[in-house]
Amino acid sequence: MECTTNNPAARRYYRRLLVTLLLYAASLAVAIVVFIHFRPTGVLAYALAVLPALPLIGMLAVFGLYLDEEKDEFQRFIGVQAMLWGIGGTLVVTTIWGFLESFVHLRHLDPILVFPIFWVSMGISIPILLARYK
Amino acid sequence: MKNRLRVLRAEREWSQADLAERLEVSRQSVNAIETGKYDPSLPLAFKLARLFETTIEAIFSDEK
Repeated sequence: MECTTNNPAARRYYRRLLVTLLLYAASLAVAIVVFIHFRPTGVLAYALAVLPALPLIGMLAVFGLYLDEEKDEFQRFIGVQAMLWGIGGTLVVTTIWGFLESFVHLRHLDPILVFPIFWVSMGISIPILLARYK
Repeated sequence: MKNRLRVLRAEREWSQADLAERLEVSRQSVNAIETGKYDPSLPLAFKLARLFETTIEAIFSDEK
């Protein structure tokens, strides 16, 4: 996918991404403050715990929207390839980590890190993919 | 897939960016197609053929 801003679909993607990131920061702050000061229980505790995950899930929807709106088929192709690399990278890292946890008692990988591993894998793949098609 | 895009473009003295603008795609896309690293979809191939006022077969060939 293109990193320049003269592409309307990419521009919308970055704008929406920024919104999801701001929502994530805000919902995380709310969850932390409420948990520290009010110690919620029951359904409210579960709802608050899940709250910061929703904007992160929204990031996937935002990327899906980008793929839907992108008129340049090559950029769509790069986007889909990058997502596949993201999924592959995540599976590779978590699988290797899992075996390391089992056999050499490496520190437990917090599942909260799986999402960043996916985006980092995806982010790394984009320049590599673009270089491949240069 | 081989293609004659570079020649057709040169005949009209268009840069990759000029062609990209006419096709409403990125310059990266034009470059990937021109170098044979990415095969365009049928709709984009038709668009290219219309732009160069020729047929798809006159632009692309499946020979190795």
